[in-house]
Order: sequence, then structure tokens, then C-alpha cells
Amino acid sequence: MDLGLFAQYTMNGLMLGMMYALVAVGFTLFFGVLDVIKFSHGDVLTVGSFTALATFVGLSALGLHSNWLALLAMLVVATLAMAFLGMLIARYLVMPLRSAPPLNTLLITLMLGTVLRECVRLFYPQGANPKPFPALLPRASVDIGEFNLRLDNVLMLSAGVLVIVGLQYLLNRTKLGLAIRAVAQDEETARTMGINFTGIVLITFALGSGLAAFAGVMNGLYYNEINFGIGLYLGVIGFAAAIIGGLGSIYGAILGGFLFAGLQTVGTVLLPFASAYKDVFAFAVVIAIMAWRPTGLIREKISERV
Amino acid sequence: MGKTSRIAAAGLAAAIVALAGASADAKQKVKVGFIGPLTGGVSVNGIGGRNSADLAVRLRNADPKSKYEYEMVVLDSECKPNVAVQVATKMAADKEIIAGATHYCSVAAIAAVDTYHKFGFPVIVWGAVLPDITYRNKYPEIHRVNGTMINQNDANAALISSLGYKTVAVIHDTTDYGKGHNEYFSKALAKIGKAKIVGTFGVTADQQDFTAELTKIKALNPDVIYFGGLTPIGVRIRSQMDKLGVKAVLDGTSGIVSDAFIQGLGPLAEGTLAFREGAPVEKLPGGKFFMENYNKQKYDGAPEAYGPFAFAAMDMIIDTIEKVGPDRKKVIAALANVKDRDSIVGKITFDDHGQNTVPVITKYVVQDGKFVEWADSEYASGKRKLPGQK
Amino acid sequence: MTDSNSKMPAGMAPGLIALGLATAYLVALLGAEKQAVIISLLVLGIGAVVGAAWLGLFDRVSRSFADHEDALGGSAIVAALALAAYFHEDHFVLLLVVTVLLTSVATLGLNVQFGYAGVLNFAGASFFGVGAYTSAVLNAYTSVPHLIVLPIGGVIAALIGSMLLLPVLRTRGHYAAVVTIAFALLFKTFLEVNDVLGGPQGMQVKGMNILGWSFNDNIEAGGITISFYMGYFLLSLALLIAAFVLVRRLERSWIGLNLDALRLDETAASCFGLDITRWKITAFLIGNFLIGIAGALFGMVGGFVGPNNYTFADSLILVSILLLGGIGNPWGLVVATFIVVVVPEKLQTIQEYRFLLYALMVIGVLLFRPEGLLPRPVRRYFPRWRP
Repeated sequence: MDLGLFAQYTMNGLMLGMMYALVAVGFTLFFGVLDVIKFSHGDVLTVGSFTALATFVGLSALGLHSNWLALLAMLVVATLAMAFLGMLIARYLVMPLRSAPPLNTLLITLMLGTVLRECVRLFYPQGANPKPFPALLPRASVDIGEFNLRLDNVLMLSAGVLVIVGLQYLLNRTKLGLAIRAVAQDEETARTMGINFTGIVLITFALGSGLAAFAGVMNGLYYNEINFGIGLYLGVIGFAAAIIGGLGSIYGAILGGFLFAGLQTVGTVLLPFASAYKDVFAFAVVIAIMAWRPTGLIREKISERV
Repeated sequence: MGKTSRIAAAGLAAAIVALAGASADAKQKVKVGFIGPLTGGVSVNGIGGRNSADLAVRLRNADPKSKYEYEMVVLDSECKPNVAVQVATKMAADKEIIAGATHYCSVAAIAAVDTYHKFGFPVIVWGAVLPDITYRNKYPEIHRVNGTMINQNDANAALISSLGYKTVAVIHDTTDYGKGHNEYFSKALAKIGKAKIVGTFGVTADQQDFTAELTKIKALNPDVIYFGGLTPIGVRIRSQMDKLGVKAVLDGTSGIVSDAFIQGLGPLAEGTLAFREGAPVEKLPGGKFFMENYNKQKYDGAPEAYGPFAFAAMDMIIDTIEKVGPDRKKVIAALANVKDRDSIVGKITFDDHGQNTVPVITKYVVQDGKFVEWADSEYASGKRKLPGQK
Repeated sequence: MTDSNSKMPAGMAPGLIALGLATAYLVALLGAEKQAVIISLLVLGIGAVVGAAWLGLFDRVSRSFADHEDALGGSAIVAALALAAYFHEDHFVLLLVVTVLLTSVATLGLNVQFGYAGVLNFAGASFFGVGAYTSAVLNAYTSVPHLIVLPIGGVIAALIGSMLLLPVLRTRGHYAAVVTIAFALLFKTFLEVNDVLGGPQGMQVKGMNILGWSFNDNIEAGGITISFYMGYFLLSLALLIAAFVLVRRLERSWIGLNLDALRLDETAASCFGLDITRWKITAFLIGNFLIGIAGALFGMVGGFVGPNNYTFADSLILVSILLLGGIGNPWGLVVATFIVVVVPEKLQTIQEYRFLLYALMVIGVLLFRPEGLLPRPVRRYFPRWRP
């Protein structure tokens, strides 16, 4: 294959993988501290990107025309709002069900996802229709052979890398991160050490949901269009990525995210049949991986409690 | 106000309403149906059609000479075949609804025709362009006032060839609608024999990411990308073409002729081609009459490309009911003999498949945020040039 | 008072009265056309249910049903027939009732998988779709008798389901959920991109035809026109009865006992020598078989199959019916299916909000009544004896 084309496919795959990884990391964070799956995560992403869009519309109505300022405001508003939403969900829907079977949490958050999605569809003005999302990043591009390197893609990728590195730093190098990891490992011991369990859980949910909002804005900037269904799709893929990577491991989630994007890209480029089969291929591989490694590629370090 | 007096007041109000209803009910009520996509990516077209059909009903109800009072039942097909079958069943199973003006989306219409036939429910299609809707079977229930996609693809291929383009890549959605466009366009292009198709890509109608297909197309480096599909993915494809630096001309069908296409793309829409059967509203025989009355009603959107057809379809249904009475079988019998009937879209004649012939094709190009007739555009006059235009 | 009552076998009267009232209510609701009437009927219904629950009447009814299940089941069938006879001309009402009956069969299948064996299935609608597509393909290209197409639909759903067996058996909890969720998405995408099965456009399904009697023609008898849905109604009712009896028998048998044991504690069950893998496979396949049969018949009723009919969201609705009715209780499932299918259909004003309302309803149930509307009663050692 032509080198330029190869670079182009790699770039496409990296952009997708970054978004998947950001969503998957959220799933893994929640699972770490509470051992639950918060399935509304993808729809939090949708709400985040619509919040960002509403912020943009509001700012333009007020007469603000600086792309950078608008983007900054959108990111801040969406991230904070979603962090708050994440805390609410954790406090009032997830934590009350801690003693119930895990399936109930899965279901309640699935249903909450439906509620969020339907609310966007029904109550955002014309929410059932796809919405154009403003292209706020500089659109300069360089053609290198068949490869079209765009500045906005590079900026988004770097921002994604920065966020993930920042998260790593937070988890591994700060006291807060230590507390989160402690809670994830053993709730009882963490409490004994004087860690405010509820507080840490809420902060973790805020952190994960903020990441989802970031991914939502990124998704909007990349496709220049959002609709009420993006979260369902990205959520399921993020969940699958977190699962094949191995729940509870940040590296697993990132690995899973890029792996899934890789599968889709390979599905398009190398497989002999139509590119529309890429999702069939990717999900079939997910099922196969589950049969091979029932607890994900990077296994959870937890022995069965009897 | 005390409780008793409140009840008394409510009772009085109810009595007045009932009386008013009774006096207005001097005419028999007759229900007619409308189906179109009212939510989803092509909803502007559906809403435009609904408003136009509603206008036909309102004008008739305001006419003291009409025999019946009409009530329009509106259902949403969401432009999905499964939903279309559901709502078609719902409408056709309701015996009080006599006939319907149905479908903008070909995917919805082709899925529902069997249902209409099963229930013996007469319909006039107002916007769907797939030939098979009328021609696959010979159902007496199905009629269509707008044309089919065959003629628009002939015009499309002719224009592409005359502009000197040599290579075309085809993207079409994999519904019957997109496949139909692909088939008729390929045939038309081959007949002229000046340009050739270098690649064909089927995509799903709700696909989000087209970078893979477009990267392949970029390697093929065609002059033109022909797109057989509807507005939502048309918008995505055009904006991702820009992302990947694909410089070809986007050549669309009647499915992208809507304000939503331009709103979704902004300046990127410039230079996109599109084709539609029937003359533009302002050039229609009843165009002025239609627009004046439409604007009087202060609807929440424009009638869009197919609004006049929806008006004509509903008007014909009401005319027929006036003539033969609210009876499905008689309506079907009456619609079998429609010849040179005057309407706002010109003379309507149904052939033995219930298909009207619409010979005029309008060629559009997007210029400065508007669909402009090709002949009037600066691209035709040579003032501006499409990429690669000779 | 209540205590002394519970020691005696309950009479049939409470069950019969409840059944009669429910049927009368359904006739009124299904026949009502004015939105105001429908809304008042719904309010009345909710009020009656809350009031009855408050007065403790439900307890009596459910005991009455438990003690006289066969007799009351028979009366329920008579009630269903009476309902259909009343609406014999009304296409749409009959279609609605058929939808309820077949959805109930499908949820009974899910109930065997999840309610008894504890195997999660988030792809219920997909397997329903497998059945429907089977009847579409077989009716179009072969001359297999249509009645035989139904069990074939069930077998194919079970076969395709068995491709998931290995990952389903090896995984637990969340990891198991992802397997069926991935399958639900894979299935819909596959149907969309695969041209052989009609692609996104779907396929038309030929109607049921038994020995020359076409189900898609209205029946004209002595001046009365009977809707063509009547044939489908009778067949669906027969299917539901068969599925119901099967599921009840299964639950009461030692198979049901084994399934209960392994759901409640897999480790303990395997310590007592139960073959976990075998029972999980049995439950999963039986469940899929039921879902597939229901799907095959529903394909013929609707006359159309398309990928968008069988999405992940539809599977979620099936699961929410299970949860709403009370996991493991077949009676509760039928009631819940009625609520979930009929209410949004009749109440046009909420049509658009139906997904939102389902979701809120399920959240409410999970938070405040996790065991569902009619929870599964505790297994009884002696069928007709109360301590």
C-alpha cells in the first residue's frame, strides 16, 4: 500500500481510538472504585457535547466571535456540568443500589442513559435532528503525498494525549490519586486509613464524566455534527473496549480503545468485503476475545470471593 | 369562586362548546391521512410536506361549497422502513380514514405499499422517487403525483458529461433508494459513454464515519463524487471530503435538495450539484397561488422541494372524495381514471400503474448558500468554475 | 384477619372477580378512542390498582391464582377469546393484542434464561429477529408448510444463540453482559450491510397459509366480517398457552429446582454436584427457542422484517418488561407486557415519550420495588398445602 494512504488510515484510526479510549477510561475508573458499570456513560457524553453546543450558541448570541475563547468556554462549561451530573448519578442512583445485585446497577444506568438520550431528543430544540457542530480549530492542512495532515486533528490528538498523561499523573503521583487507588483496592482498609469513601467515589465519578464531556466535544469537533444517538454507540464501544482491555486497569482501557479502532480500520482496509462490515468484524472479535480471555486482556488482579 | 359555582361554570362552558360543535358539525366529518418523516435528518422535508397538505385541507374546509369537513391524521414515518410499515398499518387499519397522501422517503414508501394493498387503502405518494413504488406491482391503491428518479439521473449524467468530467466515484446508501439511484445513474452515464465510474461504495443510511470510504476514493482521484442518498449523510460526506482534502465535485440527487443541507454545511455546500423532477415553485402554474396561501398560514417552515406535490396529492384526494363520497373502494375506482387533471404542479395523468409523468427536470447548483437553477447560475455563465470544470 | 385467611386455601372467587374486572377494563380501554376517555380510564386503572394494593386485595388474588391456577388459567383463555370476539372487526385492536401475546412468549423465553438460570441476555430482540427473518426467508424461497416454519424459527434462534454459548459460559456478570450486547449490535449491523437478507430495506414476509386458508384475507361469514388478524390471534393465543404451560412445568420440575440453585449460588450448586454448564446451556437454548418461535410468527403477522425492528433498544424493552413484571413470575410478565405495549399505543399524547417513560418506570421500579409488580412467589414444597 501507498505510504501516504497508510499514514492517512493510521491517522483516522488514531482519532477514533483516542475517543474510544477516553470513554473506556471512564468505565474503568467507575468500576475501580465501586465495582459497578455505569452504562449511562455514553449518554453523559452526548449531553456533554450538546451542552457545549448550547454554550457556543449562547456565546454567539452574546456576540462573542473568538474561536479560542468560545472553545475554552465550551470545554469548561461542558466538563464542569458533566462532572456535576456524574456526581448526581453516583450519589442518587448508583450508591443506593450498592447492596443490590450488580445487574440492577447495570440496568438502572442503562435506563438512565435512555432517559438522558430521550431528554436530548425531546427537549433540546429540534433535538431529533442531527446538529451541525462548529469547526473551531484552525483548518490548515498539508498534503504529503496521499496523506492530508490537518492541524485540527493534530491539536485534538495532542490534547487527548495530554489529558491521558494528566490523568496518569493524577492517579499515580498525587494524594488524591493515592486515595482513589486505595478505595479501588480495598474499601474497608481505605476507610480505616481515614479516607472519605463517599467523597472519593463522587470525585471519581466527576472525573470520569468530565472526561466523557471532553470526548464529546472532541467528537463534535471531529465530525462537525452531533446527534442524540452518538453516546449510545460510543458508550457501547467504550464499554467493550474497557472490557476487552480488562476492567479496572487504565492501561487496559486505553489498549482496548485503540485496539477497537484498529480492528475497525483493519476491517475496512484489509478485509475483502465491503467496508460496512467493519463493525460486524470488530464486535465479532470482541466476542471471540471474551471467549478466549473471559476477564479481559489485562486481567483483574482479584481472586474469586466465595 | 365556590366549588358549586365553579362546577356550574364548567358545565356551562361545556354546553357552549357542545352547541358550537353541533352547529359546525352540520357537515359530515371525513378523515384523510398524511405520512411523512417528521423527525430525523430529513424532517424539514416532511414538515414542509405536512404543512402543504394541511394547507389543502384548510382551504377546502374554508370553502362553503364543500360537502364534507376534513380532518387530517398525521403520522411520522421517521424515514425508516419498519416505522413506515407500522404507521401504514395503523392508518390503513383505521376504517374512518378514507385515503392518504403518503411518503417523502422511498425506503418508507416501498416498504409500506404491500400494507396499503393488503388493507385496500388508496394513497397518493407525494415525494418518494423510487420507480419500484408504482412499477414493482400493479396495485390499484398506489398512485404518485411526483416523478421517478429515472429522468433526474438522465439529466444528471448528461450535465456531468457535458461539463467534461471523465471519472466518477459513486457513493450510495444501501437502501432501495440509494441502490436505485446507483442503478439508473450508472446506466445513464454508460449510455452517454463520456465518463466512467471508477468505484462504487455502498454505505448504511445512518453511518457516521466515512473517512475509510473517502480515503479509498481519494486514491482513485475522481473528478466527481456522485452521491445517491439523503441529506444527513450527504452533509457528513461533504464535510469529511473537506477533512481528507478530497477536491472532487459533489453531485447529489433530489434527496439533498433541502435547506437542511445548506444549513448543515455552511460555505462548504458551495458548488454542490443536485437534480429534482418538476419545475421550481415559482415556475409552476399554481406556484404563486400556492406560495401566497402558504405564507398566509404562517407555518413553522418552508414548503421545501416537494411541498407543492404534497398539496397537489392532498387536493386530489379531497376532490375525489367530494365527487364519489367517503368510500375507499369508490375513491380507488375514481383515481384509476385521472387524465389531464389540472393541479398546481401542472396537468396530472396517471398511467396504468398510477404514475404521473413529470417530464421537467430542474438542475440545481449551490451558489452563495442557495440552491440556484443551473441555467441561471454563475457556474453556467462561466463567471465561476467548479473544480475541474472545462 | 389476614393471618387466619392465609392458613386456608383461598377460594376461586377473588381470582375470577379480578379476571372479570381486568377483561372489562381492557375492553373499555382498547375500545376507547377519545384521548380524554383513555386518560380517565388510565387514571381510574392506576387508582384501582393502588387502592387494591392498599386494601391488601392483591394478596388474595395472587393466592387465589396460586391455588386454582388451572381453572383460572382456563378462565383467562375464555376471557381472551371473549375480548377477541368483541373486537372481531377491529384490525388494529386485534393486531395490538397479537403483539402483546407474542411479546409475552418472547419474555417468557427471557424469563427461563434470566429468571430461572440467571443467564443474562441483552440480545432478546435480536433472537426475535432471527425468528422473523427465518419465516421471511422460508416463506419466500421454500414451500415449507408455514406451521412448521414456526418451530424452525425457534431452532435457528437456538442454533445462532449457541454460537454465543462459549463466551456466555466462560464469563460472569459484566463480562457476560458485553457478549450479548456486542451480539445485539453485530446482528443489526450485519442485517444492514448484508444484501442477501434485504439489507436496510428489510424484506416482505408472506402471510400464514395453512392448507389453502390464507390468514391475510378477511373472513366473511353470514354477513359478519371478521378481521384477518383473528387467525393470527388464535394461533398466538395457542402459542402463548403452550409456552406458558411449558415454562410453568419447567419451573415446578426438578429442572427448575436445579436452575434456581445455580442462579442463587453457582459455587454451592456445583459443590452439590449440579452440572452448571449443562443447565445453563439448557436454559439458554430453551429461552432462545421460545423467543425464536414468537419472532417467526410475528414476522408473518407484521408482513415485514427490517434491521431497525430488532435493535439493542428493543432488547432493553424486553428486559424492562421482565423486570417490571417481576422476574420469574410468568403471570406478572403477561400483565407487564400489556402495560408496556398497549398504554403508549392508546395514549397518543405520550407516544413520543414512550421510551422516556419506560426508562423512568424501570428506574422507579429498581429503586423502590426491585422485585417488580408481581414478584415471584416462593417455591412451595407441597403444591396445595400452606403451613
